[in-house]
Amino acid sequence: MQNYVTLTIDGAPVRASRADSVLDVAIEYGICIPHLCHVPTISDLGACRLCIVEHVQNGRSKVTTSCTLRVQEDMVIRTNTDKIRKLRRNIAELLVAEAPNSRAVQDIALRCGVKQVRYPFRNKTCTLCGRCVRLCAELWGARAIGFVGRGKDRRVDFPFGVRPDFCKECNSCIDLCPMTITPCDGPMKTGEERLCGKCEGQLLMNENFPDFCVWCALGEGFGCARHA
Amino acid sequence: MPRLAAIEDLEHLHASLAADRERAGTSIIVCGGPGCQAAGCGAVVEALQAELRGEGLAETVHVRVTGCHGFCEQGPIMLIEPGNIFYCHLKPADVPEIVSTTLCDGEVVDRLLYTDPVSGNKVRTESEIPFYRLQDRTLLALNRQVDSSSITDYIAIGGYSALAKVLREYGPEEVIREITRSGLRGRGGGGFPTGRKWAACRAAPGDEKYLICNADEGDPGAYMDRSILEGNPHLVIEGMLIGAWAIGAEQGYIYVRNEYPLAVERARAAVARAREFGLLGDGILGSSLRFDVEVARGGGAFVCGESTALMASLEGKVGEPRAKDVHTVVEGLWNKPTTLNNVETWANIPLILRRGAKWFAEKGTKGSKGTKIFYLTGQVKNTGLVEVAMGTPLRTIVFDIGGGPSDGAAIKAVQTGGPSGGCLPVDQFDLPVDFDALAEAGSMVGSGGMVVMDERTCMVDVAKYFLTFLQDESCGKCVPCRLGIDRMLEIITDITEGRGRHEQLDLLEELADTVRETSLCALGKTAPNPVLSTLRYFREEYEAHITERRCPAGVCRALIEYVIDPDRCVGCGSCLRACPQAAITGEKKLPHTIDPSACGRCGICLSECDYGAIVLK
Amino acid sequence: MIITSLLQVKHRDHTGLHMRELTMSVKSLDVIVEGRRSQPQQLIEVLQDVQDLCGYIPRESMITVSKELGVPLIEVYRVASFYKAFSLVPSGKHVITVCLGTACHVRGARRMVDQVAGQLGVSPGGTTSDGLFTVECVNCLGACALGPVVVLDGVYYDKMTPRKLSRLIDSVRAADSEGRANA
Ligand SMILES: Cc1cc2nc3c(=O)[nH]c(=O)nc-3n(C[C@H](O)[C@H](O)[C@H](O)COP(=O)(O)O)c2cc1C
Ligand code: SF4
Ligand code: SF4
Ligand code: FES
Ligand code: FES
Repeated sequence: MQNYVTLTIDGAPVRASRADSVLDVAIEYGICIPHLCHVPTISDLGACRLCIVEHVQNGRSKVTTSCTLRVQEDMVIRTNTDKIRKLRRNIAELLVAEAPNSRAVQDIALRCGVKQVRYPFRNKTCTLCGRCVRLCAELWGARAIGFVGRGKDRRVDFPFGVRPDFCKECNSCIDLCPMTITPCDGPMKTGEERLCGKCEGQLLMNENFPDFCVWCALGEGFGCARHA
Repeated sequence: MPRLAAIEDLEHLHASLAADRERAGTSIIVCGGPGCQAAGCGAVVEALQAELRGEGLAETVHVRVTGCHGFCEQGPIMLIEPGNIFYCHLKPADVPEIVSTTLCDGEVVDRLLYTDPVSGNKVRTESEIPFYRLQDRTLLALNRQVDSSSITDYIAIGGYSALAKVLREYGPEEVIREITRSGLRGRGGGGFPTGRKWAACRAAPGDEKYLICNADEGDPGAYMDRSILEGNPHLVIEGMLIGAWAIGAEQGYIYVRNEYPLAVERARAAVARAREFGLLGDGILGSSLRFDVEVARGGGAFVCGESTALMASLEGKVGEPRAKDVHTVVEGLWNKPTTLNNVETWANIPLILRRGAKWFAEKGTKGSKGTKIFYLTGQVKNTGLVEVAMGTPLRTIVFDIGGGPSDGAAIKAVQTGGPSGGCLPVDQFDLPVDFDALAEAGSMVGSGGMVVMDERTCMVDVAKYFLTFLQDESCGKCVPCRLGIDRMLEIITDITEGRGRHEQLDLLEELADTVRETSLCALGKTAPNPVLSTLRYFREEYEAHITERRCPAGVCRALIEYVIDPDRCVGCGSCLRACPQAAITGEKKLPHTIDPSACGRCGICLSECDYGAIVLK
Repeated sequence: MIITSLLQVKHRDHTGLHMRELTMSVKSLDVIVEGRRSQPQQLIEVLQDVQDLCGYIPRESMITVSKELGVPLIEVYRVASFYKAFSLVPSGKHVITVCLGTACHVRGARRMVDQVAGQLGVSPGGTTSDGLFTVECVNCLGACALGPVVVLDGVYYDKMTPRKLSRLIDSVRAADSEGRANA
């Protein structure tokens, strides 16, 4: 089997190894696709849905996440259409309304063009991105934490909520957590729920987001794949 | 019973069993489906058997307890053949009269006959009952011909002959071609062409392949799959055997919903019997076919009806869907090629092969062939399992088979497709039940739930009901589904509680669109349907909640109030005793009053008052 | 680990519609795990059996199951907390299950919840403080033609009304206090 394929991302032909995901390849070529749950070297979950792209097949386009999509020969991908931008913005809006205190999530929201949040804020402390869970299981093989419960009760927890002996408190889970690594100045106070905009300077604040990586500070803290 | 070592053995057995049936005299068929069981058919059967023994008829009259006949509301139901006499709402005490009058004297017992609610007439035979007459009962009709725990009953009516035919005459490719030609589409909701799925799975690389029968039946308020799997499990097994031959699988699973313990038991018993008869195992009927089936019990999660979640659950894991960029026909259970079909889909297979693709394709519309079972419920006169040819207009089902509104109030809409479906208003009732037509109208055929709603139903409340269900059942893995449903529910709750704002309707639509486009699995992708379809057809109800702070149907609790009309109240105190919140006070014989701050607006008092003194404002 | 205490076990008889209570004294977990050791795919089946046996999934049983099947403990806990069939806390002596499926819902099943909540002072999922009743909701039991359906300790009650339900609860209470007085 051939090990390389050629595909088109946003009109540009790119070559990639067959095992790569579309997100990997895009990042390699400097095309910025926002992402939260994806972390290089560990498996992809497809949970945050920020990395959506349009996959055009037989004239029809399908919205799908690029982190879980393997490259294929002659694939046509669009990462930055109006439709994708709008959907991505709406997802980011949902996320930031849930966890408005996280600098990382705020950055993502701004990067995705969220100007206004139309839902009441909730100060959650976890986005359920699952970075910590997969890191603990895949990098260390410890499986000290996992997703527990279903649906709206889903949370990250130890077995029975008790830290097991085999958790060595390496804290690598915390290192990758978008909620802890770049917390903003202080918890938002009730009644003052807004995006402070301190991170705005990192972004080009016009309507047209660049579709190439601008090395925004987005990833520095919690690790955009581009910085890895 | 010896193993059936060759096709000829099966044919001999069939011939002798069929001849026995021919010779049998009277048979009494009692429905043993879930509805009738709960209504007490067990006691009726016991009384019947005792009575027959007492009268010395036990040898000549054959009693058969079968799977669901579909008219559950009338249960316990009995059918006496020959004569097709239909009795309903039976009690053990009715049995002696049936035996003496009908069996001995050949007369019908009038008071046990069915009364047509539309005309008010008594109906003598089953085939004259409009509810049955207008249906096209192909799969369901088989239920009453077999005692579900009896493999010989099934063989007597030609069971496993399709398998024999396939083993003798068809190569795998020909089976797939026949299924493709029949136009069969999956009955589990998606309507994916079955032939195409099988062909893809057959073509997928790998020797080890699996078949799964999806009996998770997640749709709350419907039980088509249960009725088939419980009533006629061998039909499903035969379908899977044919699938195994066509696809090249050696192992199959039947994944049954946790809430259906009886279905698990019946299916397990049927599998065990089929093994005894050599119809599962090695060298089936002397051929090279080797296949076995295992019955697994689900854990109680709607999302496990989704293919990838179901497979994870079968592997003993949490039922979370995964991205399907690689299809399950290529990488499914244990990462091997896997074909997943719904119970009803599998059940259609033997019939198609027995009678030919052409027979099947003659029924239905251009894009949807064959018959489909629906569970008709809600505010209609007749409720129950309804099997009709695809393409039958909704109007026929609701008004003719269903008999129209249950009590006077005008019918407003029908909800099809369960939580993933939508609500269609009366002016769309000429739509045929057809995968594509319903999808275009914003709903779907789905697994077959059909809930009729009249003016007393609030459509915003319906949307809220389904969103609540889906919020409960979402696995929570991906953001749009977990947070999107949550926020949609938040908005709808605002609307039903009188805090709604106009701009929220636009937000609701935009959000619904995002959830539909970006969710990981089909649960999320279809979750907005109840919202979108009610917004599309019943926007004025949303508007009334928002602008007038009024619930037109009088359902949304924050917008209604129960008050006692002092002129009508006689002070009997039944409401006071009934109120679970103790919100009603009053002296005996004097008008009572409801404390609005304590009232939970459940309306229990209203149904308790015999004087019509409690009014809904 | 061995559960040796006396356990109230609910078993479904062949009709599936009634459960009879059996009292078993067993080394049951051993029996359950027997033949399934080191087979991670059996996890759900094993937990189903534990649930049937104990009425819930005790913490110790999860630890044992984790060791015996070779499934990480977090995965066992996760599965037990994900599926509705499993309960992590013991339930009351009597379990009232109210169906809130679509068919029952359109026939006013919500009133049954109101009734139970008012009468017993617990919301769905809760257990009364005397441990006598646990109230659960379920989405369809497949007996929709009989809705609203309420199940009490495995026995189905069809076409329920708040009044019938209230009497039913009272009768169970009365029978229970009588039973205790006689004991
Ligand atoms: C959330 C969800 C629940 C589902 N529930 C069921 C179900 O209860 N029964 C079923 O047969 N299919 C169900 N499906 C559809 C299945 O995923 C699958 O498409 C179907 O079983 C395929 O069989 P078919 O081609 O015969 O329809 C569900 C799908 C989703 C997304
Ligand atoms: S704790 Fe942090 S890393 Fe883990 S899932 Fe939550 S947000 Fe993600
Ligand atoms: S769409 Fe819903 S059910 Fe499906 S994976 Fe996402 S969260 Fe889970
Ligand atoms: S879904 Fe792809 S990065 Fe989160
Ligand atoms: S909806 Fe209650 S039993 Fe089906």
